[in-house]
Amino acid sequence: METKSEIFSQRLIKAVLWNICLQTALAILLVFIIQVDLIHPLTWISSTFNDIASWKMSLNIVLLGLVSFFQAYIYGSYYSMPIPKYFSRFSMFLNLFSVQNIVFSTLYALNGYFTMSLYSSLAKSNYNVLKKKCENYDGQCLSEQSLFLQFAGMWMGLYYFTSAHLFGAAVLTFPHIYQEKFQQIKLVISNIISMGFQHSVTPVLYYCIFYYVWGNKPRSVVSDVYSLYLEDPPLDNIINLISSGIWIGLWFYTSLFFVSIYTMKTVFNIVLTEPMKFPIESEKQMTLYDALSQRSQFTGYLGAIDLKHLSMVDPVRRSQIFTLSQPGGHPRNWNNLLEKCLLIIKEFNKELDSVNGDTNSVDDIHHRKGLSKVPLTPPSSYSGALRNMAQSPNLLELKEHKSYKLETTFAATAKEEFNNFLQKLCQKPGINYFFGEMVNTKLKFIFIQAQPVMWTCEGLSYIVSASLKEDKYGIVQNDLPLVLSTLVNLKQNLDKLSKPGIVPRKHILNDVLAIKIRSALLSSVKRSLYRIVITFSKFIHEIPLDPDVQIALQPFLICKEA
Amino acid sequence: MSIFNSFPGLPGPDETAFCKINEVYCCANIRYGNISTFTNSIKNHPKINVTKDLYHHHRLSDENISVYVDVEDNLLKKITSVWYKQGFLEALSLAADPNVNRESQILAITASYALKVANLFTTLRYFMQPHLKDIGPKIVSKYSRTRNWSNAPVKCIAWHPHATKIALATADDNVRIYCSEVSFVSTLKCKAQGHVSSLSWRPYSASEIAVGCEQGVIVWTVDPNSMFTKPSSSNAVVLKQPGHSPVTDVSWSPNGDLLVSCCGADTSMLVWDVSMESAIPLRRVAGGGIVFARWSLSATKIFAATSSIIFRVWDTQTWIPERWCARGCRVVAACWGPQDIILFAAKSEPIVYALTSTGLINGAKTSKAQPVLDVTKIELPSGDIVGGPILDMCWDCTGKYLALMFEETHIIAVFCTTQLMMHLSVSPCCFISGIDTEVPSTMAFQENFSEGACLTIAWSSGRIQYFPIIYTDNYCS
Repeated sequence: METKSEIFSQRLIKAVLWNICLQTALAILLVFIIQVDLIHPLTWISSTFNDIASWKMSLNIVLLGLVSFFQAYIYGSYYSMPIPKYFSRFSMFLNLFSVQNIVFSTLYALNGYFTMSLYSSLAKSNYNVLKKKCENYDGQCLSEQSLFLQFAGMWMGLYYFTSAHLFGAAVLTFPHIYQEKFQQIKLVISNIISMGFQHSVTPVLYYCIFYYVWGNKPRSVVSDVYSLYLEDPPLDNIINLISSGIWIGLWFYTSLFFVSIYTMKTVFNIVLTEPMKFPIESEKQMTLYDALSQRSQFTGYLGAIDLKHLSMVDPVRRSQIFTLSQPGGHPRNWNNLLEKCLLIIKEFNKELDSVNGDTNSVDDIHHRKGLSKVPLTPPSSYSGALRNMAQSPNLLELKEHKSYKLETTFAATAKEEFNNFLQKLCQKPGINYFFGEMVNTKLKFIFIQAQPVMWTCEGLSYIVSASLKEDKYGIVQNDLPLVLSTLVNLKQNLDKLSKPGIVPRKHILNDVLAIKIRSALLSSVKRSLYRIVITFSKFIHEIPLDPDVQIALQPFLICKEA
Repeated sequence: MSIFNSFPGLPGPDETAFCKINEVYCCANIRYGNISTFTNSIKNHPKINVTKDLYHHHRLSDENISVYVDVEDNLLKKITSVWYKQGFLEALSLAADPNVNRESQILAITASYALKVANLFTTLRYFMQPHLKDIGPKIVSKYSRTRNWSNAPVKCIAWHPHATKIALATADDNVRIYCSEVSFVSTLKCKAQGHVSSLSWRPYSASEIAVGCEQGVIVWTVDPNSMFTKPSSSNAVVLKQPGHSPVTDVSWSPNGDLLVSCCGADTSMLVWDVSMESAIPLRRVAGGGIVFARWSLSATKIFAATSSIIFRVWDTQTWIPERWCARGCRVVAACWGPQDIILFAAKSEPIVYALTSTGLINGAKTSKAQPVLDVTKIELPSGDIVGGPILDMCWDCTGKYLALMFEETHIIAVFCTTQLMMHLSVSPCCFISGIDTEVPSTMAFQENFSEGACLTIAWSSGRIQYFPIIYTDNYCS
């Protein structure tokens, strides 16, 4: 929790407050509906008001707040950490029993329990107490229906946790357009309610089966502990269960639980995904490139989406990027931004490369890129529209050469040998099944985190194409070859994945979300390339490009790239 | 004094207009004339003539399908086939029909009662939401800007924003793609593609085209390098959402990232993220169904016309609309020009209005709508009638030429428009008329025509005419 950034925790608190407001509204609505009395509308309204103003209600709201904070904690710790990478079956299995998951499941169970008892107390049913006065004997009897419902609360919490977190990677998906919060809630609220009532059917059925099989155990334990008598017909009998009518209550309260959890989720998504403006230059606040440098973390997402907005519709901040720093006259803003953007794209490229299998060529490409920063043929003259900063000698090149010296020490060799041995061991059939990397899962994880890459590519392309008209010093055009070659590289890597025949069968993605994100990413990379190429179509031959990149750009130039 | 009196006169009886080059209105004989004698700018454009034998089969129109029901089939089969093709209610009415159902009296009586109950519900629903009254194709045909949409050989046309490539939706609901470089024609057709109302090419993409049709939006990916003339339906993605049918308009944002689809029977307009196949509805109270939407050239605003007098201008950053009311009738056509100026025309009114946001004056953003052009119907000295209520309107992307198509008269009028200091002035340019009895169905400006503007007109005969308006810089100075 302590690693969380300030922006994130602020939003989380905001979300909790919103959530409490909305849930209270829902609870009041529920009280209102439950006490429906059409013949005496005045008493109906007055009794509702009495209930709402009573101390019991405020106690319930406190309970609601508590539940809401539980949820916020879970959400917060879930999204502030980078998604864990488990690619082999064994590590995935181990992950099921991590401390985090155990804590979460307990919290969810408590959450379910509290929500259930909250709503049942709002509905004025006496299911909150396990004891009741016996009718036939003298003494205390067990109210099995309460037990049934309270267990159900925990069950539902656990059920939701398993279905949403264990068997589905919960990722924060940013909507493609962001409307006002109130509008968004208005649009989804009816959907949430109907979904809640639909989705609660299956867990209720599961629970009834569970109780049918195991129900006698908790009952006997509870009645032993509290030394209570059993009076009513037992509920682990189908006929008793149906005739008691408790299943209707169960379904109703479960639906309310799901409605509350979906509401919470929606409110959190809405508040967390709100776009935010980062300044380009600032002493106090977090700047855009600070945000961008936190790749794959929440602020990184916000930064990338802001980059896209800025480059599309914010001429003021765009012009700040195109300015030179005052003492010195360096294009510091642009350089910082470009560095961060390229880093995001390159990191992603590297991950794709590792899946594509040609890990050797990665270094090769990087090596070449370092060199190609200096144009092979210095451009002799630029036509009117295409400006360029003076080609300064590039010192970066020398530094990179140094780092390529291989250090062959004994330790390194031993480590390599050990790794080779491990890899060979992993090839054995049985071991491979448990310990081998699953490329599918790996690809899925890579793509699920690809949203910021998408926005970065598009943002970069908008800035570059805007630079033709707005960039007075030609800062951006100096780096045009680099941007183009990075984008082309990414496109080629993505093509390799999607073209049949080149990739072996086992790489085929089977996750619907990942497939969609892949096509979205490919389409946005192509669009970015088209945007740059179409904008600079008249000058494309004056840009010093690698021959490979030039060939790759040809189809874009004649509008033939599918 | 009407603006039409200062237009150059129409060509003589045997002549037709071919192009306009630097203020010279070029006409030639209908049979012997050739546009290449005037200009080479459209030499490579595909020659298109949509004729009846191009269609593979003619779709039966929905009104007379019952006439074709095979009387030899047994009752159950008949009912199930109608249920499958036309829905449950039609099947019920068939079962209740005493002329068809002679065998089973009980079924007929039950069906007729069920039908009565169903009708009660429909009446109630139409009472609550009167805009839903028309069904599918009727809605499209009512709101379409294509003249005689249900019978025209060409239902709509769309130019590719970056290449000389044109897509036509023909009367058999196939979408044909003609390209300047290759001679073959790709024909797009899949089962879901019926009653095509609109087409839109995706900007910054060579292959994607969105087709608005009855069921929803179909986004085709047509590989420009592929030699298949009939791409399989695996290249198509069908985007649909309950209640959003029939789609009356689709349009891509000029940035190519978002797709807006509108439905005349749905009060919300959907903004799609096509690759994720997810839609976010934009909805506000009042106004009825959204008929069409237009993106501004800079993608910062969307004009959305409803089926009532209300229209809205959405801001694409905050997604908050600005609400406007037309004076008499719903807005029938609108187009954006440079500097976020918008021209629109209301139904059955011969006036073009301009809506300009005058920018920040005294810190407050103000915008106003004012009439800029009056095109009341008049008779020309030659005896032809021109003007009247506006049916469709096109503005070329440089904002220099405006073409108007009229509801009651069949001559297209092209105007020159110039924008000086937020003031729009409109001056006459030329008329375009069809050969013999041809009437214009629909029209569009080519988007990547570098020599000037190229108006493309689909005539009711199925002929596609390119009418280039060429100006050279030397001439202007």
